Amino acid sequence: MSDFQPKIVAFVCTWCTYAGADLAGTSRIKYEPNVKIIRFPCTGRIDYMFLIKAFANGADGVIVSGCHPNDCHYVSGNFHARRRWIVFRELVDFLGMDVNRLCFSWVSAAEGAQWAKIVNSFTEEVRQLGPYKAYMELVKKDKNESVF
Amino acid sequence: MEKPRIGVYVCWCGTNIAKMVDVEAVAEEIKNIPNVVVSRNYKYMCSDPGQDMIINDIKESKLNRIVVSACSPRIHEITFRKTLQKAELNPYLFQMANIREHDSWVHTDRAEATKKAKALVTAAINRINYHEPLKELSVDINPATLIIGGGISGISAALEIADAGKKVYMIEKSNRLGGYTADIDLTYPYLSSVQQMLGPMIERMKKNKNIDLFLETEIKEITGYIGNFETIITPKNDNKTKLSFGNIVVSIGLRSWDPSPLENYGYGKFPDVITSVEFEKMLLSGNIAKKDGSIPKNIAIIHCVGSRNKNYHEYCSRTCCTIALKYANQLRSAFPNASIYELFADMRTMSKGCEELYTITSRKKVVFMMFDQENDLPGIRKANKNDNCEMIIELNEKRSGKFVEVPADMVILMVAMEGRETVKEVAQITGVSLDGNKLFIEKHPKLDPVATTTSGVYTVGSCQGPKSIPDSVSQARAAVARILGTIARGTAQVAGTTAHININLCSGCQMCISVCPYSAISFDDEKNVSVINEILCQGCGTCVALCRPNAIDIWGCSNRQMTAELTALLLSD
Repeated sequence: MSDFQPKIVAFVCTWCTYAGADLAGTSRIKYEPNVKIIRFPCTGRIDYMFLIKAFANGADGVIVSGCHPNDCHYVSGNFHARRRWIVFRELVDFLGMDVNRLCFSWVSAAEGAQWAKIVNSFTEEVRQLGPYKAYMELVKKDKNESVF
Repeated sequence: MEKPRIGVYVCWCGTNIAKMVDVEAVAEEIKNIPNVVVSRNYKYMCSDPGQDMIINDIKESKLNRIVVSACSPRIHEITFRKTLQKAELNPYLFQMANIREHDSWVHTDRAEATKKAKALVTAAINRINYHEPLKELSVDINPATLIIGGGISGISAALEIADAGKKVYMIEKSNRLGGYTADIDLTYPYLSSVQQMLGPMIERMKKNKNIDLFLETEIKEITGYIGNFETIITPKNDNKTKLSFGNIVVSIGLRSWDPSPLENYGYGKFPDVITSVEFEKMLLSGNIAKKDGSIPKNIAIIHCVGSRNKNYHEYCSRTCCTIALKYANQLRSAFPNASIYELFADMRTMSKGCEELYTITSRKKVVFMMFDQENDLPGIRKANKNDNCEMIIELNEKRSGKFVEVPADMVILMVAMEGRETVKEVAQITGVSLDGNKLFIEKHPKLDPVATTTSGVYTVGSCQGPKSIPDSVSQARAAVARILGTIARGTAQVAGTTAHININLCSGCQMCISVCPYSAISFDDEKNVSVINEILCQGCGTCVALCRPNAIDIWGCSNRQMTAELTALLLSD
């Protein structure tokens, strides 16, 4: 097994997946430290430009996770996120990014264990894929410069 | 905009964070980040001295941005926003980094956890540079309340609100009020009659002019937001009715579990193995008898049937132990010479008067035997002819360590309580989340146990977690106190985290209008741009993400803030 520690960002909604990750914490479920969460009101808010920016700034993998279908706090935001995701995936290859470095999931406020499972399995998948710098090198000269 | 002067506070949370994260190192390292003026670490930031520290620093060091790196913002964001308000700083000039639930509690390597904490705090600091003071909006409160579910909780809430002179719409799915409570004979621990208590309450419900009662009615959809909800119902034998209300109480209760899957208890196989619900009906009818009409000589009561069991319900159903003791008392009164057995896993009689009932029961020639709920449940088999009873319960008695055969003519299974068949639908309609046990999740388990994450929606009684009658009534009245409070104020503050449109960029494509779940966006034909009603906007941000010319952004989660957080998170790693 590789000892590479991938950098992974998770874009999650505050009502379901963020709460699910909180539950993993209160339940003291242990998981890999590679995934860092950015909290949005809803997956519907997640402009997929953020995903591109994540890779441009050196992410090795990205997770998008929100409420299960029909459980959206805002009625339908997760459906828009899912639809947008389908379109975005098609675009990923064209942009020169690796689609295997993207993970889309539903994690409810009750699924702390499920969150830990997704973090662990995706971290391992990305670890096997190795570091991902191709897209970052394509868009910026200095790796310490941030791409807005 | 004035230049950001940021104060950063890294909390130890006692040892909860400090054990796994080097909080001092985190506070030290982030000192050098541009605009950070103050960086401290402290044992409990949420304590009064912790909050006072922030207030003093805001005044003395002229801080205008605060980052607290501690627990989940879902727990203490509101606490610290109030702290900022006390120091006369806009509460939205605040950001939390979650280094407890998302870090110290879930990781095992101190160096890795510390590294992650630094990244999370750095991201929060970078993002807060772009925070702006936001105004909270005020919405009017419709003084009517919708109550879903007419059990003891719903009835208690309805009467309390109606007695205060405010309108209540009570929606009940079945054809009668009282719910599960109406099927109970005597309450524990004082063995007083439920019917004497519930009957007058139901009469008051029917007579109170402030209560509109809709039996055999279900809710299909609710629109709106705190203070201004709406629904259309179709009551039985009546026309569609539109109801408008400002608050919602969800009190749909629980149902009893069917114990057939636990084959060792032979429910459905042996006619005289019955559930607690079926036995309660027997008590209510005044006739305790076996299926063949004869009197049982040996009666066993088995606890924790489907509760505290990993395969069915992990939680404790909370009321069954004491109800089982009540049954032993009622059985002893009915049959002075019968043998009565209580087969329990752990005796949990925690409420007022209940431990006393346990003592009283133990003096009434009731045999208590303990079994191992996790590994070794009792099993029931048919007795032989010369056994002089119908069934034999085989049991490894836990305290004595001995194998015991208990004779039984009637077995009462204390079945678990679980979410009703409609619970998922009600959760979706009201916008409240369910936990893994299909119980409603409260806003805060300790500090806000009746509110939910949806403003104006409260969940009370057993649907929030199995409960006794007094606990259900207390919760119902707690929710009513909150509701009457908002009605008395007449307005509610809603977060200013709404979407806004830069009309110079808006192309007039109207895509945003088609995705808004709250119909908060309209079109200005004259200017050819979309317009957002900030009262209706709930801040989901769906319109922001799809706006092609990037004309829409959202307060509190702007493109600039999120990009700053993201880039710092990746670059600090």
